[in-house]
Amino acid sequence: MSDRFSDSSDETLGRRLASELPRHAAPARLRAAILDAAAPRAAKPAWLVPALSALATAMVLALAFLPLLPRIVPVDPAERLTRSVVAEHERALMWGARHAEVIPAALPWLTQESGIGLRSVFAGDDRLSFVGAEPVYLDGRRGMALYYRDTDGHLVTYTVLPAAGLPVPERRRLQVDRFRPALLYDSGFSSWVWRQGDLVCFLVSDMVSEAELDRFKDYFVRVRTATEPVPAY
Amino acid sequence: MASDDFTQQALQHLDALYNFAVYLTRNPPEADDLVQETYLRALRFSHRFEPGTHLRAWLFQILRNTFLTFYRLREREVPIADDGVPDWDVPMFHDAPEDSSSAMEAHTDLERAMSRLPQDFRTVLLLAEVEGMPLEDVARVMGCPVGTVKSRIFRAKERLRALLSDYKR
Repeated sequence: MSDRFSDSSDETLGRRLASELPRHAAPARLRAAILDAAAPRAAKPAWLVPALSALATAMVLALAFLPLLPRIVPVDPAERLTRSVVAEHERALMWGARHAEVIPAALPWLTQESGIGLRSVFAGDDRLSFVGAEPVYLDGRRGMALYYRDTDGHLVTYTVLPAAGLPVPERRRLQVDRFRPALLYDSGFSSWVWRQGDLVCFLVSDMVSEAELDRFKDYFVRVRTATEPVPAY
Repeated sequence: MASDDFTQQALQHLDALYNFAVYLTRNPPEADDLVQETYLRALRFSHRFEPGTHLRAWLFQILRNTFLTFYRLREREVPIADDGVPDWDVPMFHDAPEDSSSAMEAHTDLERAMSRLPQDFRTVLLLAEVEGMPLEDVARVMGCPVGTVKSRIFRAKERLRALLSDYKR
């Protein structure tokens, strides 16, 4: 060790610290980094912030009020009624039928509530099983709805409403067995629509693809041939 | 942000601040981060600097406070070693490289002795003896009365002498 180690006075120690302790110079990249951080950034245009705020507000308002805007109502009365029937089918799909009644025990009650009688009714078979029945009130009309579920779990809703003189769209009619119902689509659902006297009937399901059309035709035939609704009063 | 004049004046003390940071952190990459953070804070809050007061002391004060902020964080996070002293090699900043080869090596007994001093003692010696800062400025940086600074310098030198004499044996 050096001789200076023996001199341990405060002043000497201070001098040693000042002169012998290595000094570390800042690297050039550090100076550059600090200068870069200190450089003023390009100012944003004065209009940018208010414009973005206004745009964001408008988008939020549009999203908030979008569900409240009136939907475009179809001009065709059959299509308009189909929309109501499909909405009821959606409700049943989401929440289930309000009354799971057993046919024929429920028929007198259904007739009383809906004003529609059933001379015969499709009560289900090996492909479609009966789920429930309930009176409905759609588009200002009392009617009834019968719910079925097929072996794959598709809900199929048969709805019958009084609609004297309601025209079934000719251009949508298809030949199915010996019948010519119209096939309408709404909100991702398909619906057979046909007239039986002064009543209009609907069979709704989510089978909308070409591949499922044959099966849906088959369901229509089963329900149509076995069910005969009539006005009760 | 700060004016160009302020930035240029502040950068005159870069080497001194970096040297101080290296001895505080004992790790050059961490010293880089510490000095950069110090300047960012100084430039951001340059309006709080009172012209006519000592810019150098103000910058050292920011650096020390920044160091203590992270130091205290590290002390809470790092497990204490067997000897009751925190593991100093752990990076002070979370994103600092952990390569131990970058840590500062002590080449002389004086450096080794300095590195073994408690942080307050090391700081007071670096400011007063190495940087030659007036005791009033040291007191401002340390946030304590001048009398306390004098006392710490005295005790720090005593401890340093003891360590150096250990190395002599």
